[in-house]
Amino acid sequence: MSYVLGIDIGGTFTDCVAVETDRGAARASHVEIGKASSTPPDFETGFVDSISTVASRYALTPSAMLGSTTAIYHGCTVGTNALVEGRTAKVGLLSTRGHRDAIFIMQGGGRLSKEPPEYIAHVASHRKSDPLVPKDLCMEIDERIAFDGSVLVTLNEDRARRSIEALVERGVEAFAVALLWSTVDPRHEHRLRALIEEIAPGAFISLSSEVSQRHGEYERTVATVMNSLVGPAMNAYLRKLEVRLEEHGYRGPLQLMGCSGGLMSVEQARVLPVLTIGSGPVAGLIGSAAIANLSSASYGGDIITGDMGGTSYDVGMIVAGEPVTRATVSYEQYEYYAPTLEVRSIGAGGGSIVKWDGPTLRVGPESAGARPGPVCYGRGGEKPTVTDADLVLGYLNPDYFLGARLKLDVDGARAAYSKLGDPMGYGPEQAAAAAVRIVENQMADAIRLATIHRGYDVRDFTLYAYGGAGPVHATGVARELDLQRVIVPLSNFASGWSAFGIAASDAIVIAELGAALASPFDAETLNDHWRHLEDQAQQKMSAQGISANKVSIERFVDMRYTLQVNEIQVRAAPGHYTSASVDTLVAAFEREYERLFGSETGYADAGFTISGLRVRAAAPIGDVPFMQIAAASNGARPGGWPTRRVTWYEMSEVKTEDVPIISGEALAQGVEVDGPAVIEYPDTTVVLRPGDAAHVSDIGLIVDVTRKQDGGRS
Amino acid sequence: MAHATDQWNGRDQSYRSSPDWQSRIESVELHEQTSDVDPITYEVIRHRLWTINMAHGETVLRASGSPVLAALDFNMTIMTETGEFVMSAPFSTFLVGGSSLAIRFVLERLSRAPGIEPGDVFVVNDPWIGANHQMDVLFLHPVFLDGALFAWVANAGHHYDLGGIVPGGWPQNAPDVYSDPFCFPPFKLVEKGTLRNDLEEIILRQSRMRDLVALDLRAQLAGNKFAHDELVALCARYGPDVVKGAMRKVIADAQAAFSKQLSAMPDGRWSDVRYIDEALPGDRKTYRTQLNVTKQGDRLVIDNDGTDEQVEGVVGIVYSTFQGSIMGALAVTMLYDELFAVGGAERQIDFRPTPGRLTCVNHPAEVSGGVMNCETHHHAIHTIISGMQGTVDELRKDIYAPGGDFPLAVLTGEKDSGAYYGQALLEAYAPGTGAGPGHDGVDTGGKESAPLAKVVNVEMIEQWYPVLYLYRREAIDGGGVGSRRGGTGLESAITPYRARTMTAVTNTGGQGVSTAGGAGLCGGFPAPPSRYTVRKDTNLLAWFADRRLPDSVDDLEAGTTIRLAGKSNPIELGEGDVLELRVAGAGGYGDPIARSPELVANDVRLGYVSAAVAKALYGVALAGDGEADLAASERLRAEILNDRAKWSRCDAGKGPGDLPSTPATGEPVRRLQEYIEAKDERDLRVLACAQCGEVLGDYASNYKHGLLIDEGPLSVLPTAPDPSAFIDAQMVLRRYCCPGCKVLIKTEVARAGEPVVDDMRLGSAIADGMESGLALALSHE
Repeated sequence: MSYVLGIDIGGTFTDCVAVETDRGAARASHVEIGKASSTPPDFETGFVDSISTVASRYALTPSAMLGSTTAIYHGCTVGTNALVEGRTAKVGLLSTRGHRDAIFIMQGGGRLSKEPPEYIAHVASHRKSDPLVPKDLCMEIDERIAFDGSVLVTLNEDRARRSIEALVERGVEAFAVALLWSTVDPRHEHRLRALIEEIAPGAFISLSSEVSQRHGEYERTVATVMNSLVGPAMNAYLRKLEVRLEEHGYRGPLQLMGCSGGLMSVEQARVLPVLTIGSGPVAGLIGSAAIANLSSASYGGDIITGDMGGTSYDVGMIVAGEPVTRATVSYEQYEYYAPTLEVRSIGAGGGSIVKWDGPTLRVGPESAGARPGPVCYGRGGEKPTVTDADLVLGYLNPDYFLGARLKLDVDGARAAYSKLGDPMGYGPEQAAAAAVRIVENQMADAIRLATIHRGYDVRDFTLYAYGGAGPVHATGVARELDLQRVIVPLSNFASGWSAFGIAASDAIVIAELGAALASPFDAETLNDHWRHLEDQAQQKMSAQGISANKVSIERFVDMRYTLQVNEIQVRAAPGHYTSASVDTLVAAFEREYERLFGSETGYADAGFTISGLRVRAAAPIGDVPFMQIAAASNGARPGGWPTRRVTWYEMSEVKTEDVPIISGEALAQGVEVDGPAVIEYPDTTVVLRPGDAAHVSDIGLIVDVTRKQDGGRS
Repeated sequence: MAHATDQWNGRDQSYRSSPDWQSRIESVELHEQTSDVDPITYEVIRHRLWTINMAHGETVLRASGSPVLAALDFNMTIMTETGEFVMSAPFSTFLVGGSSLAIRFVLERLSRAPGIEPGDVFVVNDPWIGANHQMDVLFLHPVFLDGALFAWVANAGHHYDLGGIVPGGWPQNAPDVYSDPFCFPPFKLVEKGTLRNDLEEIILRQSRMRDLVALDLRAQLAGNKFAHDELVALCARYGPDVVKGAMRKVIADAQAAFSKQLSAMPDGRWSDVRYIDEALPGDRKTYRTQLNVTKQGDRLVIDNDGTDEQVEGVVGIVYSTFQGSIMGALAVTMLYDELFAVGGAERQIDFRPTPGRLTCVNHPAEVSGGVMNCETHHHAIHTIISGMQGTVDELRKDIYAPGGDFPLAVLTGEKDSGAYYGQALLEAYAPGTGAGPGHDGVDTGGKESAPLAKVVNVEMIEQWYPVLYLYRREAIDGGGVGSRRGGTGLESAITPYRARTMTAVTNTGGQGVSTAGGAGLCGGFPAPPSRYTVRKDTNLLAWFADRRLPDSVDDLEAGTTIRLAGKSNPIELGEGDVLELRVAGAGGYGDPIARSPELVANDVRLGYVSAAVAKALYGVALAGDGEADLAASERLRAEILNDRAKWSRCDAGKGPGDLPSTPATGEPVRRLQEYIEAKDERDLRVLACAQCGEVLGDYASNYKHGLLIDEGPLSVLPTAPDPSAFIDAQMVLRRYCCPGCKVLIKTEVARAGEPVVDDMRLGSAIADGMESGLALALSHE
């Protein structure tokens, strides 16, 4: 027997999924999940604890399990935590003279584009996020390269040296070097690294040309600074982790989850730790895509993922089996280059506060968070939240929340909603139903915006619901959007969903190149670029011991019409390019542009521009058999479920009835459940409204949602 | 003044709907039926309307792909069947002010013939019928349900080019409308769902870039179509009467919220005076505008009394902009909780500008380039709103000083490849934002009238245009000084790179380069003005060869140095020439010598304030290590206070109203702004210094008459030029302090010899003057 481990460190818990495989056998024989408290700042302790927990399920010691583990796939929040808690390195920034302020200007009002409308509207409250680096730790370097690669001002090494020395004197322990047009010619950045290594040996150094090859100094500089901020903390963590794993006799590979949705080697994570930030929400998307791509089943073509936690609702999208990607990541009001998956957040979570403000009832974006948390947590929270509403409506079981780890105070929640409902003349159930109706509509609106943004019709999608509160509201959201199907993936193992996603990921290397190519494109130039990028990607793969024959390579270009700003990623053909393949590429661009933006929206007379080339190398390494995982829970269907009073809303009407409460863990594959019903799992609850029909499949719970009874779209 | 029948007719004067306008709607059935909507359905529909409107904008952006629209120089709305605002958006907030006017014009004048039918779309860019200027083309799309006109969706967007004497549509040198981009009144571009190609061609034929205009036009149509379809779907879900009920309630709620805020303010009249330089390049004259807001109970009357008559040249705005800027400013200052539902506020306002004045020009005035002055006007109303909000404790947190006028430099020429280029440098999208009680302004924070507008990466601009950026940074000393410092603006310098030819022209609103940037509030200073510097034949290449880059264009040796005026004709730039554009910051808040010395020292350390300004204006001395020298600072500040003690009593224009005569009210002390309060002093109600209690005058007096005044040159402001370089008028900075404690209470830029501005005059007797106007306003509804 051998094991593959997927380990996900979250803010509160560290989850470990162990997949047992019989060497030589094609199928996994058993899956277990273990949970331990996260242990910041020494995350490696929680990491090992989670292995101990899961090992005990197999009656093994952690060392025994690690001794027969073939691979560990790991998602970690070490970088994110360092940022949030301010345990970052003291970073000095070197930029081209005259351009230090790009990261302070933050594109002016452009920094507000991801803020919620309530904030944008309130101009008096606008501020800037705190600087990533104090201005007096930023030095300007005399050097200048033009967009065409001409070196207009040669690097002034004497002055640069003095600047670096000054930063060292001020206690800088990590450097970020971000020069204009280093994407075209990185020679000055390379030379500065040599100078820093000479003056400050051992300091962590990030070069913008190595962090991102995209043009745009603001996003690239932020990425470079972020990389240096978290670099030392990440390296320290990885060192300690490797020591602990060695102590337990583990000699296999350690791969880290990246925000691109793929795994990367620990060596790469040391150099580019910024790519591990934000990998958490992405893991769920990868898991969903993995399920959707299972060939045997129709698990719903195009997919919306809705991940509802305590403070936010994160929406992702998978189209034709591929998660929708994005070139930048947001951190506070900053935006930086890192290839990632599109996840849009709104402030609607279980902890979102519900308030009556005179003419209307409003939900969020303020959140009670985990402390004091919802009223029903009994931790001093006094403001009613969405979770309190779920409890009042009977959706949540006060004695079986988080697998009975937290006992909920129903009376407290009812009292809060009773008070909230007073001015509207509503009783507690009606007030709670009102709150849920509003939040479900907000979630639906967020999904509408996300799909419109990409040019899709939302009604064609299947909703994958996860996160503790996601499945509670999924059927309500689906009805509002006229979606027909909701899937709660691996419902039995909902809490380990991210860890599963990590274990299901491929090793991914993305090599990119910023460009400014104008049509007509020269096939040979493109061939040179592809060769260069593919060599780079293959080298990184082989550096982590993955042989070339396992690697599949895809090519993409970023293209736009020369006089227009909408830039899209287009898949480019493999192989050697001729002028005919260039024509094919342009035609593919025009087709995709029309699909996204509508017919006759492109202006071809102005010509075309390629602004970037990208190679995505992927190698399957995880290969976790999802279908066996879900099937692993063998239950039967006992009759005589207990019931609970549950309140439904239909527009503004509410109706309370006794509804069967079903233990999800006991349901065998193939069992069908008709709504109304509430299905309880250790870490989540699925609410089936009257008319909904669910069945337990090999990948989790599949719900066919009843259509709205009060009219659909005309 | 014109005859009553010619007033507001949309030909000579701007169009406004008369009280009986609805009686002239023909052949169109209005959907006026509403159902009661419960608060929950209401909140759901309200959120959905917001989502539809934002997605409408998204649809326009996606379909157009225009860099102009991508900079968010557009906006979109949902309106009722009679053109009341239900939803607007935080893009260019002043842009859709006129869609209400244009819709009413269409209903009143075109409903009989050619008629308004399902699937029609009307288009208009006539500034006298709702457009902001000719470049901001309005598209109006009626929404019909079962044959009745249910609502309108509309958008306005800035097009690339629609003809006229200067490419791009901001001519700095157009004498009148006949040199502007072409101007068309509303017509039906789409008839029952079919785009009229013959009419489209009339628009495209005027443009230097017809194909791109065609794209934008289709994008705007697509956005409206999307919003139309979503609105129809929403009605199918909830029923038209419920949706209409919700729309009415959005407006009514905004109206109630606005009324509530107004009711909390004391009655009175607030005014703001702004100047505009140069009607045309080379003109050295200065023109005066004045905006007055009279508040009584929960209503406002807004007029432009005191504004100069319109003249030939690039200095005026139309009624649509006058009103649109005011609604845009109200949206982000008083209606933010209502998500831009400005229709409700509009019901409480009677706009009474006199036509033929600079802030309400008549045909055939130049408008397309003069629209730069909409920012000037926006800052005037913003200053007034801040003054009014300052009188209410709960609202005071929302006040902040305004930003500066908009400086625009347009570069045109040929690249070394021979390709033509021509585009504005939009560095002015990152001015500072203003300081307020409790917070400094945001450095390079953005434009208050277009909060999401962004500056584009240097690495993008250098690909598009043949320029090399020597620097782009946050300017030192760019924000107005104050106990809370105004945000500083951008400072950028370029030199031609791989250009065969390059010329630059400038166009600037207000007094953007001659006097000051954003005005100060409550004793905070104005920011220094914007600045265009051209240095020709510099030794830049020698610097490059020496492996050096200049920190400032002033460090270079140059043949000639030219400070460009606000409006200037083309100047050529060649190799070794540099152009620096400094974008003004926003105003400061509160007496600068009340700023904590530690904060000032920190500003100096981070490069936001120079040591010289720290000493001269903040009264802060720095020790060798850069920390504040507290003892020395205390001495400096004592000297500043001593100087203020020598200022003279502000007696000028003191009238009988200034003698205390308002009887005591028995009400408690009421704070009116940072340093002024109203209180009972024995049997009289008076204005007094909130800091030391010194009585300044009668409750209904101009408080400035009780202050000490200093009138001096604007060179007090750091980096400010001598205005006489650009204009003949003698412009001064007036500072007012309390005769008791000498705290700085007010600063203002004025033309020497003009009476002190009556910026806040409290009392219902003052407001009574608006009664007649009020009656008129009510009859409009």
